[in-house]
Amino acid sequence: MNKKILIVEDDINISKIIKMNLNIVNYDTTEVYNGRDAYELLQRERFDLILLDVMIPGIDGFELMKKIEPLRIPVIFLTAKNSVIDKVHGLKLGAEDYIVKPFESLELLARIETVLRRFGREETIMAFKDVQVLLDKREVKLHGKPVELTVKEFELLVVLLKNKNIALSREQLLDKVWGISYFGETRTVDMHIKSLRKKLNLYDHIKTVYKIGYRMED
Amino acid sequence: MKLWQKIYLFSILPFIIIFTLASVLIIERNHSKLLQQEIDTTLRENMSIRSTMEAIVPFLKIYRSPDYEQTVWTTIGNEFVAKNSDHTMYLNIIEEPNRVAYSNIDFAIPQKWEELQSPAKDEILSILSDVGERTILFTSSLVDLNDRKYSIRYMKDVTAVYEERVEQYQFFMKVDIIACLLYLILMIFISKGLTRPIERMVRTAKVIAQGDISKRVDVNTKDEIGNLAENFNRMVQVVEDKINELELNNLEKQRFIHDFTHELKTPLTSIIGYANFLRVTKYQEDVFVDGLNVIHDEAKRLESLSLKMMDLILIREDHFELSMENLKAVLDEAEPVLTMKAKERQIQIAIDANDCWMEMDKDLMKMLIYNLVDNAIKASAEQDTITIKVYGEEQRCVLVVADQGIGIAPEHLDKIFEPFYVSDKARSRRYNGVGLGLSICQSVARMHHGTFEVASEENVGTTIKVIFETGKRNEVKQ
Repeated sequence: MNKKILIVEDDINISKIIKMNLNIVNYDTTEVYNGRDAYELLQRERFDLILLDVMIPGIDGFELMKKIEPLRIPVIFLTAKNSVIDKVHGLKLGAEDYIVKPFESLELLARIETVLRRFGREETIMAFKDVQVLLDKREVKLHGKPVELTVKEFELLVVLLKNKNIALSREQLLDKVWGISYFGETRTVDMHIKSLRKKLNLYDHIKTVYKIGYRMED
Repeated sequence: MKLWQKIYLFSILPFIIIFTLASVLIIERNHSKLLQQEIDTTLRENMSIRSTMEAIVPFLKIYRSPDYEQTVWTTIGNEFVAKNSDHTMYLNIIEEPNRVAYSNIDFAIPQKWEELQSPAKDEILSILSDVGERTILFTSSLVDLNDRKYSIRYMKDVTAVYEERVEQYQFFMKVDIIACLLYLILMIFISKGLTRPIERMVRTAKVIAQGDISKRVDVNTKDEIGNLAENFNRMVQVVEDKINELELNNLEKQRFIHDFTHELKTPLTSIIGYANFLRVTKYQEDVFVDGLNVIHDEAKRLESLSLKMMDLILIREDHFELSMENLKAVLDEAEPVLTMKAKERQIQIAIDANDCWMEMDKDLMKMLIYNLVDNAIKASAEQDTITIKVYGEEQRCVLVVADQGIGIAPEHLDKIFEPFYVSDKARSRRYNGVGLGLSICQSVARMHHGTFEVASEENVGTTIKVIFETGKRNEVKQ
């Protein structure tokens, strides 16, 4: 079942772009544009995570935080305020994370994932077409049969699946899989992609995107 | 050395010197007067002996006996001594060259008196001299009697006069010490009292120097120090006001920057978000068109923001020149643009203008009118009418812009002049509003000594009145 995320953001365009980004990696989203609506909705519905703008009409973000504390839903603040004091204030109130506008969608997704994992709400099994990934056992199955992957191939596959339908540059992939300190060439990424396509028969799904990198597509 | 100590010392020293000098002068004068008196008396007495002796001469001529002469001289001498027995005196009558006619001297005559022994005729000589512990005044005169020369020496003990002087000095010393002591004690209080306000000022100045600018000197005297304290307080007040003003300014600026950053980031977030989304996801036509529309709109909003910012910067740079203009004429000049803008949304503009002259910068005044009317257009619905009025009152020009639009809720009324404040975000976005219009208007109005009056009712309309005080036009601007 997909995770449900509530987006509380008064700027419609920003709310929409967040929603689009989340939907594409298979999160279910609901948008509300002010604090009061958010509060009412939270009384009725259960969400796995809230993305909350601080400066919203009605009840502001910090205030809403206090009110919904008993629900124990992880909150990530979205705001243009980037002063340290605001950050401390937000985190003191129990926000899990803080993200400053303008932000990159990849950063947002990564933070959402981190928070969800911390709250044990992340899946342990990812399925894509004929491929099954058992995250806790670090096992990959194709048509139910285990496939041998190297450590880096496994991690690369997980990153691509988590950012499904989003193109990732070779640099981003290097960074996420090999780490920032790795000074390898982007060719390393190409080799591993090639190997993944072959081992898991993903020729049609791991797409090469012109001038950007690779994208896992349905 | 502290000021009070200086005052103390500088007043004490002259006092002691002058007091002492004056006393010495008085004592010495007294003394010399007394002495002179003694001398005069002595001389007179010498003379009186002489006249007595001269008066007796005819009898002597009758008798012509040396014994009788001697008896007469002794009698005269004894009588005289007895008459003046109230003070110590000595008489010595000598018949020249050296026969003693009468003498009651009980001491040896000092050598230097010898020169006085033979005065010229009809002359009296006098000399003062110490004999043992006494001071003796010696007078000598020569008289020619019966062809014989007599030297009359009359001496007086004037030790008392000198003792009197010493006594006076002793008395003076006591008086001097007591007076000085009194003066010393008095001056401590006086000099400290005089400098106390200064010390208080110094203490206060120290406190102020340490940062407590709200402190004031508490000195109420009416003299120069009081004057200084008053001016000092006034100076501190001015400094404090300036600091407060700067702080307020700074705070305002900080908030402006803060709000401005927020206004920049919101459209940027959308633009970056959509651009990236379109870049990294598979092409879908509806998303593509939607996304590009958002990017276009948000970029337009940024453009509008930057234009308004330019206006604000222009106003704040103070490059404006005031000249005498007719507000009506300026409105007439602006009218075509306003009407065109209103027409786009099928809104009527009604103008009712009378002549009113005031000092203004024409371009800025037009900017003010555009912004006010722009706001009115944004608030209005189609077919509404916006009324613009200009009229003069005594020493005032009044500009009124009234619409029949959505109005402003009472809770927003006091905030509408704050930069970036918009009462209805969604509505403001639709027209690329950034919330700077009224800030600009206020800046312009302030330069022209204008104040705002806003009356508004939701769903009935808003009337904004700008009242320019033309009476102030001759004062320094801002």
